[in-house]
Amino acid sequence: MIEWLTTTNHKKIGTMYIVSTLGFFCAAGVLAALIRIQLAQPNSTIIGTHAYNQIFTMHGTAMIFLVIAPFAIGLANFLIPLQIGAPDMAFPRLNATGLWLFIIGGLTVFAGFATYGGAASAGWSNYAPLSEITIGTGAGEDLYLVGLTLTGISNILTAVNFVVTIVCFRAPGMTFWRMPIFTWEMVATSILILMAFPTLTAVMAMVLIDRHMGGHFFDPAQGGNPILYQHLFWFFGHPEVYIMILPYFGVVAEIIATFSRKPVFGYVGMVISAFAIAGLSLGVWAHHMFTTGAVSNPFFSGISFLIAIPTGVKFVNWIGTMWKGSIELTTPMILCVCFLLNFLLGGITGVMVASPPLDYMAHDSYFIVQHFHYTLGGGSLFALFAALFFYFPKIFGVKLDERLGKWFAALFFIGFNVTFIPMGFAGLEGMARRMSTYPDVAHLALLNGLSSIGTAIIAVSVVLFFVNVLVSVRNREPVGNDPWGGYSLEWLTSSPPPEFNFDELPPIRSKMPAWDVAEGREVSRS
Amino acid sequence: MKWLFDPASVQGVAMAGDWYVFIVAGIAVGIYVYVAILWCVFRYRRRGGEAQRFEKNTPLELTYTIVPLLIVLGLFAKTFLVERPVDNVASDPQEKVAVTAFRWSWQFSYLGSNVKTIGTPRRPPTLYLPLGRLVEFDLTTADVNHSFWVPAFLFKRDAIPGMTNVFDITPSRTGTFVGRCAQYCGLDHAYMTFAVQVVPAAAFDRYIASNGTAVP
Repeated sequence: MIEWLTTTNHKKIGTMYIVSTLGFFCAAGVLAALIRIQLAQPNSTIIGTHAYNQIFTMHGTAMIFLVIAPFAIGLANFLIPLQIGAPDMAFPRLNATGLWLFIIGGLTVFAGFATYGGAASAGWSNYAPLSEITIGTGAGEDLYLVGLTLTGISNILTAVNFVVTIVCFRAPGMTFWRMPIFTWEMVATSILILMAFPTLTAVMAMVLIDRHMGGHFFDPAQGGNPILYQHLFWFFGHPEVYIMILPYFGVVAEIIATFSRKPVFGYVGMVISAFAIAGLSLGVWAHHMFTTGAVSNPFFSGISFLIAIPTGVKFVNWIGTMWKGSIELTTPMILCVCFLLNFLLGGITGVMVASPPLDYMAHDSYFIVQHFHYTLGGGSLFALFAALFFYFPKIFGVKLDERLGKWFAALFFIGFNVTFIPMGFAGLEGMARRMSTYPDVAHLALLNGLSSIGTAIIAVSVVLFFVNVLVSVRNREPVGNDPWGGYSLEWLTSSPPPEFNFDELPPIRSKMPAWDVAEGREVSRS
Repeated sequence: MKWLFDPASVQGVAMAGDWYVFIVAGIAVGIYVYVAILWCVFRYRRRGGEAQRFEKNTPLELTYTIVPLLIVLGLFAKTFLVERPVDNVASDPQEKVAVTAFRWSWQFSYLGSNVKTIGTPRRPPTLYLPLGRLVEFDLTTADVNHSFWVPAFLFKRDAIPGMTNVFDITPSRTGTFVGRCAQYCGLDHAYMTFAVQVVPAAAFDRYIASNGTAVP
């Protein structure tokens, strides 16, 4: 116990990130279930308005800041040193600081539920001046601001660590152009974190100053400007979207390559597209503000459209990796195929809302709710579970049960689509997001009923996943170094790996060192 | 075409047209990529055969960069052409309505008259609009951010403290439509609704002339 609390080992830190993000995932999932219980029927009063506002605020906040982004950071913590042949991260104590700041920050945000007045209830985007109203709101909003600042600082520290580790700690033979795609995606992600998160920290501090120290950053009566809040928040918030998807793009590339028994197709294109997405993502923030009438819509619309191109390149590369391969449909591979199918829908609806005339209808409606759940849920979350199945043997030395895993994947995919497809239509029928209830007009009752049924299916699938974890850990079937036939360096060490990762560093002479060894390719020491 | 949308304004008809273009393009691209993904999964399932280990195909990759570029350029052009007239504010509107959003209802006052309607969350106000006349809206808020959304007009615009947002709508069809606040604004956000009733111009004129007593 003390050993885990005081560790600076990247694998233990990564594991603790993963376990704690799964804890936050369960909390956010319960909140999602409460939302769908309330919205299952029109004019529902099961959950009071104020409680409902806290629930959707905390669901979004937890999924974004405490699950999807930090899970990727935890996974990267575990994987990057293994993938590049390093003994640990460059700054192990900084790494531990990051972990604990994250956990404390997350618990701080959730502590709002224990205060008088409840948790933050201004939406995950926390728009000022709504978030600056101190009358009638308790300490929940302040805990949100402080907690997110802590997790933000945690992300910044860890991103510095990733960049330095990747640049300086690669093993002999591991050139930049031999690094696995996941590691490359984490370079782009880390740079985005360093660009975006300081802005979040600043804007959280500004709201705190306005609330308690007589500041007027966002108060027009005193020369402040509420539009400034939106600019600052989305200057962080849009890169954040890509911070939550780029690592998972990498995961998907690794898994598809492994189970197609082929190298990643278009490796160079994959790397360039990651940086193209990262670069463009810094110039699209105001597409969240098309309806404010305060920004240049054509400019931000144009840049947003352009992001479709590097994302399309990635699709070509994933499909190209499968093309003429020898595909084994294991659970992680099935989840990656689900990722492709879901994320495509998120991408297509994304191009739609990049068009201001369409956004005038879709913005702040359930169409947008559908859109971002297809990217972050159907995309990132499916890849998150694919990563769990794929790397579970490496992290814990135990392989998850495949039969239960496939049931989980099927139920999750069905439940996800039953939940979120109706939301797009609900949005076009006039359902605004964040409504605590809705009238019985048009097809809203039917569409919302379907969504709630889908959520019940998702809940069953998630329970099945945790049952799978318990059953598999109890059975403890031994796995060797490499249960999947992976190609990158981490599959050449034991599962779980020894303290400093490699007892003897394997030769690295190509992008696929594990396949070189497995297939007995002549390894010249030239 | 009344499939999916049934716009009730001139601007809404133009924007619905834009929606259909994007939906058709989206379905076409979607089917193409879906087929490619599922074809790979089923055609190349492991049956003892060896994988072909090619790593790249530069002409193919360039094609799949340039073709999407052309598609989004086309969509961008279409978007731009639709957006310009929608965003444009005429200098000579036929009617003017000042809309003030507040937590959690709306106030509508018809400029050049004494007619003013104020709602409450449980008694939403009705906004009367004349059929076929160009109406200018001057949108403000008394407290936090709100958003004026009429789904039948396929349009919303945010009400932001410290600024007045101006836009035009020309109702093209009589009827009663739902309006609501789209920007989350706190406790009773879900109840911040209003009704929009588009009436023949003569009925609208009677309503204004009677100081709001001759309800159409």
